[in-house]
Amino acid sequence: MGSSSETKENSLLSSETGIQRTQYPYVTGSSVVALKYKDGILMAADMGGSYGSTLRYKSVERIKPVGKHSLIGASGEISDFQEIMRYLDEQVLNDNMWDDGNSLGPKEIHSYLTRVMYNRRNKFDPLWNTLILGGVKKGQKFLGMVTMIGVNFEENHVATGFGNHMAQPILRSEWHENLTFEEGVTLLEKCMRVLLYRDRSAVNKFQIAKITEEGVTISQPYALKTFWGFKAFENPTAGAEGSW
Amino acid sequence: MTKQQARFEPYDFNGGTCVAIAGADYCVVAADTRMSTGYNILTRDYSKIYKLADKCLMASSGFQADVRALQKVLGAKHLIYQHQHNKQMSCPAMARLLSNTLYYKRFFPYYTFNVLVGFDEEGKGCVYTYDAVGSYEKVGYSAQGSGAKLIMPVLDNQLKSPSPLLLPAQDAVTPLSEAEAIDVVKDVFASATERDIYTGDKLEIVILNADGMRREFAELRKD
Amino acid sequence: MKFDTSGLESTASVFGTAGSQLVDGFSAAPAFELPTTTDFDGFQKEAVQMVKPAKGTTTLAFIFKDGVIVAADSRASMGGYISSQSVKKIIEINPYMLGTMAGGAADCQFWHRNLGIKCRLHELANKRRISVTGASKLLANILFSYRGMGLSVGTMIAGWDETGPGLYYVDSEGGRLKGTRFSVGSGSPYAYGVLDSGYRFDMSIEEAAELGRRAIYHATFRDGASGGVASVYYVGPDGWKKLSGDDVSELHYNYYPVVSTEASEPDRMVEA
Repeated sequence: MGSSSETKENSLLSSETGIQRTQYPYVTGSSVVALKYKDGILMAADMGGSYGSTLRYKSVERIKPVGKHSLIGASGEISDFQEIMRYLDEQVLNDNMWDDGNSLGPKEIHSYLTRVMYNRRNKFDPLWNTLILGGVKKGQKFLGMVTMIGVNFEENHVATGFGNHMAQPILRSEWHENLTFEEGVTLLEKCMRVLLYRDRSAVNKFQIAKITEEGVTISQPYALKTFWGFKAFENPTAGAEGSW
Repeated sequence: MTKQQARFEPYDFNGGTCVAIAGADYCVVAADTRMSTGYNILTRDYSKIYKLADKCLMASSGFQADVRALQKVLGAKHLIYQHQHNKQMSCPAMARLLSNTLYYKRFFPYYTFNVLVGFDEEGKGCVYTYDAVGSYEKVGYSAQGSGAKLIMPVLDNQLKSPSPLLLPAQDAVTPLSEAEAIDVVKDVFASATERDIYTGDKLEIVILNADGMRREFAELRKD
Repeated sequence: MKFDTSGLESTASVFGTAGSQLVDGFSAAPAFELPTTTDFDGFQKEAVQMVKPAKGTTTLAFIFKDGVIVAADSRASMGGYISSQSVKKIIEINPYMLGTMAGGAADCQFWHRNLGIKCRLHELANKRRISVTGASKLLANILFSYRGMGLSVGTMIAGWDETGPGLYYVDSEGGRLKGTRFSVGSGSPYAYGVLDSGYRFDMSIEEAAELGRRAIYHATFRDGASGGVASVYYVGPDGWKKLSGDDVSELHYNYYPVVSTEASEPDRMVEA
């Protein structure tokens, strides 16, 4: 407490020591949608990486496995997500090092992410992401979300970014506890298709991931069948003329 | 989405309402389970009531991440207290600890609105109510959070007892039985849910009395 | 920038060094966490606007021949909302000293609590009670060290020490004034009006208490941010004593009894 060394933290009143932090995102990923189904968790995300309004990257993997029991999906700043993955890999490596059979489950990873995100916001140096964490361990399904400022919760179905507005209403009306794998995938694809139609930064290249007691499977990238011939798409201003 | 936010916003408001009533031999805390951000509902099932000790509960609304951090800090401090004193902290001590914990972040506040309930040294029910930076007061009942302005006048109308500042002092016991208090809580939440967009979904009620702790749930409007 | 948090450190050494490793950062004196931002003022302004600390008050204190009278209302408001009608704005620092509370409720509560600790420590170290002068200076120095950081405190320290009655005004801007008559808070202009016109040094305790009470009442009548209960304390050679606590809406009917309107009743009948 009474240390004589000048503490750097208290020098904020002198404005000379202003260091630049990430105050806005550069390359960003769009929505992630995830839900619980009968045997575990399903998660879907497109592979676009936007640089402002430019679709700069088209093969960004935004869903990753964490250890044996968890799956993480991220929207927001891609580089920050990659940094988070380095933190998580370190955690998993540490688990393996002990070689005692113990490992972090989805609950623990989610809790860890919660603290990482909140601590960075406390430093005014946020990790610009919304994260979804899903997993299964010892028969317990887990699905939770963490935002860039540390807000966190668990739910049966979650969606980040635009998905919150467009996918959640679909999930609320169609989701139920005993979805089969096929039903779950169909439901996720329905969500992703709506997002593809209405979210300008979404691209038609997806990955769907599954996690069960058996482990993680992340699909190869694939495209959804689309139909752009809707009346409302062909003549979007019909019945809604602007004043100009 | 692209360039969603222009600037970093360290705070959010996740809504929620908390109500607490103390009686001579009981206390009741209640909070809705909705968590929102802006016009979005993030989840309809999030508990705002946190157990700090066997006879001490805290209900908090505001910014969820700060609420969580505050709960963890108090939980950790209470654990150390138990190791050092081999007993649980009393409710008035916990009330003071919460006040100081909030004030230590006076220049970077926890954006949280709390009520603390439990039993005082004489075994009577007590409610402590706070502002975000730690000013606190012992009261007979209180409401905090997004629906507080809608609920507090109703509680004043139904439960107000003579001010403790009056001299000569007047008897100031909440004139309600436990069952009546629970009914009042259910009613005020149903009403707040009608007019506050941040309150709704479900009501969690925790009752402390001589028999211990009891939890009840009641449904609220989900729109 | 160095902050005086010495008042918070009194418990730190109790646990010794052996246990301190075990409990890590928790037993150590907590320090004030500051936001890591280059724009402290801007952040502080926004944060304060968001948390809306409780504010608005009428408090007064004056010295007369038998000691000091301290009086206050009990309302706290957050913007237009009355957040409490039962705030204890007269803080009992020790049996011989009182502090009053105007400005930020948390700032006043915390620093008066802190002052209480410091005064007790002084008593233990010196085998005599701290003087009002000393106590008020202790508080003023702490508040001064936080000057410009957004604290909001307007307080009076009133008490009885070896030199007799003492009264000081201290605020968060660094001000410290010795005086015989003060009123602080949004209702102070109204209180001063009553206080200045009714004040005499050679009042009896009863007269002085009534003056204080009436000044608070009139302030609550005209100032929307003041109200609730008017509390009156007296500090004399034997310490402080609470003399009264009255709901101001009841005081209203004492000062202005309802006059019977029966006489004008026929007139109204004619109009109707």
